[in-house]
Amino acid sequence: MALEDYRGDMEMCCRCSTCKFIPMQKVKGAQYVNVCPSIAKYNFHAYSAGGRLNIAAAMLKDGFKYTDKLLDIVYNCQLCGACGVSCNYAMDMEVLQPISEFRLRCVEDGKTNPALDKVIAGLQKQGTMVPGAKGKRGDWATGLKLKDATKEKVDVLYHVGCLTSYDKNMQKLAKATVKILQKAGVNFGIAGNAETCCGGRAYQMGYKEDFLNQAKKNMDMIKKAGIKTLVTGCADGYQAFKVLYDKYNLKGDLEVLHISEYIDKLIKDGKLKLNKKVNLNVTYHDPCRLGRLGEPWIHWEGKKVPGDRFVFDPPKEYRRGTKGVYEPPRDVLKSIPGVKLTEMTRIKEYAWCCGAGGGVNESNPGFARWTARERIEEAGSTGAEAIVTACPWCEKNFSETIKENGSNLKVYDIVELVEKAI
Amino acid sequence: MALNKEVYKEFEDVVGEENICNDPAIMPAYFSTEFAAVILPGNTAEVQAIVKLCNKHKMQFRPICTGWTGMFPPGIILLDLRRMNRIIEINEKNMYAVVEPYVISSQLQAELMKRGLNFCIKGAGTNCTAMLRGHGHMDQTTSGDDRNHLAIEWITPEGDIVRSGSLGSSDEWFCGDGPGPSLRSILTSAVPPGVTPGVFTKAAVKLYHWSGPSAYPVEGISPHYSLSEIPPNMMARYFSFPSVEKMWQAELKIGESEICFELMGFNISMVAANITTSNEEEEETFNRLNKEVQGPGFFVIVVGDTPADFEYKQRVLEKIVSENDGKSLKAVEDPRIEGILMCQCTRISASIRETFRNGGAFNSIPIMGQRDLTIKWAIGAGKAKEPLIEKGYIVDDGGAFFGWGVEQGHLGKTEIFCKFDPGNPEAKAAVEGWQKEQNRRAFTERYFASTMGPQDEIGPALLNYHLWWQKITEALDPNGVSPSGGSLV
Amino acid sequence: MIGKEKLVKIVGAGNVSYEQKTLDEYSKDISFVNAVRPVCVVKPKNASDVRKIVNLANKTQTPLVPVSSGPPHFRGDTVPGIGGAVIVDLSKMKKIINVDRARRVAMVEPGVTFGELIPAAEKEGIRLNMPLLPRKSKTVIGSILEREPVIMPKYQWDISDPLSCVEVIFGSGDEFRTGQAAGPGTVKEQWAVGGVQKAPYGPGVASWHRLIQGAQGTMGIVTWASMRCEILPSLEEPFVVGSSNLDTLLEMISWLIRLRMVNECFILNNTNLAAIFTKKWPRGYQNLKDSLPAWTLFYTVAGYEYLPEERISSHIKGITEITQRLGVEAVKAAGGVSANEILKAVQQPSGEPYWKLRYKGACEDIFFLTINDKLEGQIGVMNELAEKADYSASEMGVYIQPIVQGTGCHCEFNLFYDPGNPSELNRVRGLSNSAVKSLMAKDAFFSRPYGENANMILNRDAATVAVLDKLKKMFDPNSIMNPGKVCF
Ligand SMILES: Cc1cc2nc3c(=O)[nH]c(=O)nc-3n(C[C@H](O)[C@H](O)[C@H](O)COP(=O)(O)OP(=O)(O)OC[C@H]3O[C@@H](n4cnc5c(N)ncnc54)[C@H](O)[C@@H]3O)c2cc1C
Ligand code: SF4
Ligand code: SF4
Repeated sequence: MALEDYRGDMEMCCRCSTCKFIPMQKVKGAQYVNVCPSIAKYNFHAYSAGGRLNIAAAMLKDGFKYTDKLLDIVYNCQLCGACGVSCNYAMDMEVLQPISEFRLRCVEDGKTNPALDKVIAGLQKQGTMVPGAKGKRGDWATGLKLKDATKEKVDVLYHVGCLTSYDKNMQKLAKATVKILQKAGVNFGIAGNAETCCGGRAYQMGYKEDFLNQAKKNMDMIKKAGIKTLVTGCADGYQAFKVLYDKYNLKGDLEVLHISEYIDKLIKDGKLKLNKKVNLNVTYHDPCRLGRLGEPWIHWEGKKVPGDRFVFDPPKEYRRGTKGVYEPPRDVLKSIPGVKLTEMTRIKEYAWCCGAGGGVNESNPGFARWTARERIEEAGSTGAEAIVTACPWCEKNFSETIKENGSNLKVYDIVELVEKAI
Repeated sequence: MALNKEVYKEFEDVVGEENICNDPAIMPAYFSTEFAAVILPGNTAEVQAIVKLCNKHKMQFRPICTGWTGMFPPGIILLDLRRMNRIIEINEKNMYAVVEPYVISSQLQAELMKRGLNFCIKGAGTNCTAMLRGHGHMDQTTSGDDRNHLAIEWITPEGDIVRSGSLGSSDEWFCGDGPGPSLRSILTSAVPPGVTPGVFTKAAVKLYHWSGPSAYPVEGISPHYSLSEIPPNMMARYFSFPSVEKMWQAELKIGESEICFELMGFNISMVAANITTSNEEEEETFNRLNKEVQGPGFFVIVVGDTPADFEYKQRVLEKIVSENDGKSLKAVEDPRIEGILMCQCTRISASIRETFRNGGAFNSIPIMGQRDLTIKWAIGAGKAKEPLIEKGYIVDDGGAFFGWGVEQGHLGKTEIFCKFDPGNPEAKAAVEGWQKEQNRRAFTERYFASTMGPQDEIGPALLNYHLWWQKITEALDPNGVSPSGGSLV
Repeated sequence: MIGKEKLVKIVGAGNVSYEQKTLDEYSKDISFVNAVRPVCVVKPKNASDVRKIVNLANKTQTPLVPVSSGPPHFRGDTVPGIGGAVIVDLSKMKKIINVDRARRVAMVEPGVTFGELIPAAEKEGIRLNMPLLPRKSKTVIGSILEREPVIMPKYQWDISDPLSCVEVIFGSGDEFRTGQAAGPGTVKEQWAVGGVQKAPYGPGVASWHRLIQGAQGTMGIVTWASMRCEILPSLEEPFVVGSSNLDTLLEMISWLIRLRMVNECFILNNTNLAAIFTKKWPRGYQNLKDSLPAWTLFYTVAGYEYLPEERISSHIKGITEITQRLGVEAVKAAGGVSANEILKAVQQPSGEPYWKLRYKGACEDIFFLTINDKLEGQIGVMNELAEKADYSASEMGVYIQPIVQGTGCHCEFNLFYDPGNPSELNRVRGLSNSAVKSLMAKDAFFSRPYGENANMILNRDAATVAVLDKLKKMFDPNSIMNPGKVCF
């Protein structure tokens, strides 16, 4: 679908501003009411989802007039999808899709962001979203004697992801994951140096072709290796494989699981026992692309039914964030002895983004950090000692922000806590 | 009226470069209007400085809070008050709260509920400002319209700060009237036409007791929110009646006996909209419920302050309903649905389902005042919707109107609207025709005069109030910098 | 100057008076404002008379002083502020125009007193939200236009209540009707479709009635007003709670109102309660006063059409929780005054002589609005000032009336004095002046500035005055309406 296909949706926008806030029934006080980092930081209505839709609709009508400000608006959005959830509590219309399509359109028109161009150049050259990555993708596994899923038959392919593979500070997540899977006796493998970027973050940044390129590479490898189940610890990777690949009809019948879902299953199947005490008060941060954006793609094509209502034939089912992955990571945390989970105000489908998505991490690190700061403060307000997430990009952004601003809050990925408990 | 660089710089000096913008790219986000600039003042002093500059340069301006309803003349300066978002004070003992323009109602309400308090929330929703006047679902016990403001801090169109009532004399927010005649006569603001010129930068609103929970136990994932349990001292029901007259009698008695926290005269189409999560489900639900109701009805929420009070109120309600042959809608007796409605209709969070979801537009005739009189008119206005429904121009809501009790039935509100697809020019024209005709009928048959109608016709029939108002605005705004604009809905 | 013959032509010879004795009566009141003798007194019979008078006054630059209540006046607002004034005495406009049970509204002309409207409303099953024991000659409209506090704060949603709509002849000579009454159609035409004059706001975005209220006749002359009424209870139970601790009673009364459990409710000190309920003067006064607690909170619990007993009992249960928490007791009598007696009294105007005059023959009221938290401090200041002025604080009546559903309260000090005793009179006059100043310093809000102190009060808020001035110029361009009052 192209931007034009969302004209009707965009015209449905009634400028109610609901997309700026968490769902009204969930507002618990004066604080933590914002849900859209972009409008929260930049304040002009144009930075909100409603503003974006109205701008895009106007451009469809009157022609695309790019200005620096417009590009500033377009690229300062994490594409976190919170807006759509809040809107779709009441409205039947697509919100994130047209925003995303508008971004794709900008890139198509050559109106790119230089910082993102650089990242994509790196991707094209090195197959990773970690700019200036040194060494090889599989280096972290040296000496671990893991199965090579491209060569050996495994039940599960562990897709490690760019950041976890290349970032020295994040490789601990891969190692923890390996330990957990081994402990549970899973027959798994990695693709090692043959693994390549999922393309999800390139897609968020607006580079559809590069995304499709990556997707095809990955699916070729997966098909060739006969992989049926893919597990990843990266929320971006998860959403790419599970949702985006499906959207572009590339996924086939590959089963995609996030590591938190998989661990949850292992625990519930009795294959993994968490028996070491981890005394820690934690709060859990839902990564956008595991939570609300992790809900399955719904294939639909139809026509508007003529008449008074914005309805379609066949009826359109909207992805409202209802079927995201919310409980498995929480269930995992709850099954770690000693861990006490206290929820923040903004959780699950209306969680506040960590700030790292949509290319913002690369194009405007200050904004990414500003967004993280909000979250860290919110996490702190629960009395938790640590914020637990389930995505390396979130962890990295939180950790760096804490380093920059100082806070006693610790940051963990869920696999790190599980690792402590086995 | 484009801003030249020097003038732009003067405004920029007030708010900083990140808080002013005149790039054409942002304009469609706001009302499809080419503003000279959009400015985001951060406090009263900045608003005052901007207004003074506007006078100096004879630039027109309008403020917005969340900006849902305005439709503004091009070329003006838009003061987007988004950055003024503090709750200044919640005075529990003296039952008022002081807020800045961009505190949204859900924020204030959540803080109040924790303290056993509530306030009048506009039917538009808790996503709107808490500061401006309005009316809504809970008016039966929280009053509405211009009756909830206490002291107001106001930047006049000339850039002076006026602090009305007790605020100006003794730095307290509890009273907005005096010394002498009350400035609340003009410090009302509202949807145009005829908004108070200038800018309200803070206002105190009256608070009301709330015996409901300090926070609702909302469960489920959007859009399937419901309450995990109905608070033990609360009950919600929908009653339908065999006739408008019986419905009105029941409404009257309920008001007089002061037993309902809320009396929301939903029609069944609005009930269907509230409890469903998509257009398709809504249509199906409406068709089903429409068969079950006997006629017009209303939705009530009873809240007991004490167990004895709760019991008393329920018993009286039962009596009144049965005396008027009312029938409870079974669907709402289901705790899941009851919970949805209870929460939505106190934390006003589904008006969009009722209005915009269907077709993206609605045209409405709202009227505040004497409920029995306006209901009488609305019956006819509803009948007049039927041909539009038949032609498929507007959503079938059974030709219904709605409304609610205000101040235990002392006053009331009645409203009727048509929902349609604004992309369909025939539908749009038909709806506009209906609106015009029903306004005209209200006027010529002496029910009321919609002041959103043609001023030149209505004004003279209403003692030229429009000329008086014009005189007032001219006196307050000699440079004509504070136009009223038009209204979106 | 309006010629006599012109006035006679409008209202008839019998309704114009140039008689010295009459003029003297209007030239002063019980307050301390300077006596200024009007030129004549004219008594219009209807709105059309009023309009003609206002038009004449505009042509001749004649000040008009509208008066609706009969004497004795207390606040100086009906004494001409400047010479050459014509008193427009509206006491002959006595029609009760409408009483509507279903819509809970009544409509009266300016000369109608409480004593007259109460039975008429009662006959239909409704009643007024009254001020506390108005004098017999006080008109309903006079009280409402002054924003006098009412004794059922629960039913005062807005400070403008119970006012609904008014018909007014502005100083400019233009006729206007506020709120729902504005139209479309005349009042009679509105009635014909089932409309009443109830909704106060509009037309348009303004709330015009608020401009006329509190103006002390400086904007125009009201020729009728409609007001919301409340239903007559089918059952009522009054109580009193006595205490030496005002704070406790304030806490109690704010909860009673917040939970909407009581109708009439207010607090009086022993001096005022004795001043009202002494039967045998002068002997009985001190005895009664001695029998009373320092402060008495009075309230009524009521039931209406449905299950009145249950309603009352559920409220009493709720109230008992509050009294137990506060360690006070609700009883049926305080000293020598029973709750029933109080209830009966406050549902009517004061008996004759007016209660404020019984003790010493005159009374100076100092009243303002405030919030509970500040009240004790303000009363403390007042006590100190009284003592300093050699006026025994214990002789001072205090009336505390929560207003607008508990968002503030009206506090009133009643300084009883003997008008025949010049030294006492001077002491009270001095005290009144210094008190206003000191109380303002303690955040007392004098929302209804009368007489000698009005300027001092209004000087505190120049910004508001500047706006009011603009409005005044519009509605009374020649400044003929009661010049010298408020800030005009
Ligand atoms: C679906 C829908 C339902 C509605 N239902 C109701 C209802 O039931 N009851 C009701 O009362 N209203 C209703 N409205 C209208 C409603 O009052 C407004 O939509 C709501 O109050 C707008 O809040 P806002 O924050 O968007 O105000 P804005 O749209 O920002 O402002 C509203 C008006 O006030 C002016 N204004 C804004 N800020 C200031 C300020 N600081 N000082 C002076 N003037 C200012 C603006 O210029 C504008 O003219 C409804 C509107 C919609 C769209
Ligand atoms: S995108 Fe949705 S929530 Fe946002 S303003 Fe538009 S309709 Fe409202
Ligand atoms: S995707 Fe996220 S950042 Fe972008 S507009 Fe929506 S809520 Fe805001």
